[in-house]
Amino acid sequence: MAPIDLDKYVRPGKDHFLALGLEGSANKLGVGVIKHPLGELTPENRALILSNVRDTYITPPGEGFLPRDTARHHRNWVVRIIKRALADAGVAGADLDCICFTQGPGMGAPLQSVVIAARTLAQLWELPLVGVNHCVGHIEMGREITGAENPIVLYVSGGNTQVIAYSNQRYRIFGETLDIAIGNCLDRFARTLKIPNEPAPGYNIEQMAKRGKHLVQLPYTVKGMDLSMSGILGYIDGVAKEMFGPQQKKLVDKETGEEITPEDLCFSLQETLFSMLVEITERAMAHVESNQVLIVGGVGSNERLQEMMALMVKDRKNGSVYSTDERFCIDNGIMIAHAGLLAYRSGQTNALEDTVCTQRFRTDEVFVEWRD
Amino acid sequence: MTTLVPTAIYTSPTEPIEVKLIPGVGPHSTDGKTTQISEIVLKAGGEDRDKPSAAKDTPLGNLRAQLTTLQDKLNEFLTQKMLNKRKLEDDDIERRILDDGVDEDSD
Repeated sequence: MAPIDLDKYVRPGKDHFLALGLEGSANKLGVGVIKHPLGELTPENRALILSNVRDTYITPPGEGFLPRDTARHHRNWVVRIIKRALADAGVAGADLDCICFTQGPGMGAPLQSVVIAARTLAQLWELPLVGVNHCVGHIEMGREITGAENPIVLYVSGGNTQVIAYSNQRYRIFGETLDIAIGNCLDRFARTLKIPNEPAPGYNIEQMAKRGKHLVQLPYTVKGMDLSMSGILGYIDGVAKEMFGPQQKKLVDKETGEEITPEDLCFSLQETLFSMLVEITERAMAHVESNQVLIVGGVGSNERLQEMMALMVKDRKNGSVYSTDERFCIDNGIMIAHAGLLAYRSGQTNALEDTVCTQRFRTDEVFVEWRD
Repeated sequence: MTTLVPTAIYTSPTEPIEVKLIPGVGPHSTDGKTTQISEIVLKAGGEDRDKPSAAKDTPLGNLRAQLTTLQDKLNEFLTQKMLNKRKLEDDDIERRILDDGVDEDSD
């Protein structure tokens, strides 16, 4: 098979590509500028992150983010954040090759706010638009940052939970949630306990879980390669309401007789959910005979999940776990710029009439033309 | 200074007359009536950290402010249309129940 030529669309006289990426599929508004040198990206010929700016819409404790207010946040900040990203990168609109934006999946109203900004800039600067699948953005950025070549990808965030493997120019979904995403499960439990949303509810649960000592038995719901989390959430929500509601029911650990605390509940929820994720990831690894795992998505920055995954992988021959820090795990603009630029270099662009965003956009719908 | 004035036109296959909306006489600002933070967030103790920046006194700044007024008018116009439609549908159900003896849940 002939190697893929990613330099067909380079502008005359240029030795690189530059892309602006706009992300706003949930409560983070991210803008980034990326530079690709000519040729295939390798450990010696890496993409350069010129800027990566993010602003998060934060709600009061106990409240989730509503589509309308999240869209309003993105609408009112997007120009300021784009200006900051361009200034950080030291580039002007005329220097760019394309404008990349998240086309889905995500929340409709916030996606809509950001695509309007992308369309406006594309027309203002006469640049092509590239619609990017949010999940593919996470995967490509994770691969670029960690250097993982062909890993099993565990994509865990507020809106998605998927185990993915690459095959024949598609990122194929091996297993996924049958109902709510893992981040959504953790965030909603944070709301039940009225844990602050700043900097992120999942982060605050993680810190509380570190102080938990007793494991409360919760349902364990792996179904083949898939998993279900809504029942677990319903169960632990019920336990919390009994403990901290009008009943003030005292729950004790059977072994020590010590009282169960909110920290114990956070610990138990994390341990149960992460065990389920580790189980299906291990099964996918065995299936495709891979020894690498790449964890992406906001929940991927959870250190306990990384630790549990590392324990599983250690038992496999030459196994390794790859993960990124919060700059790249949590939704950001640079991953959209990076995946969008790979698509652009393969000749994929969107005509203005094909830039409609979609809340449902599965990872395996994307033709990954830039990989062989 | 150049004055840029935005307009909006509403047309519908079922309505013969098109409706043209203009910002009209000011004052205009980027702080729109219909684009405020939700009551539910404020009631939960949230604060509005996402107000739009004020419009500059430039042609583009004035356009932003006028566009916000136009957006308000458009939102009010469309909301009213939806309320009217809902009322017509409600009236129709009432008429059908009273006149035709149709059960509300039958369709």
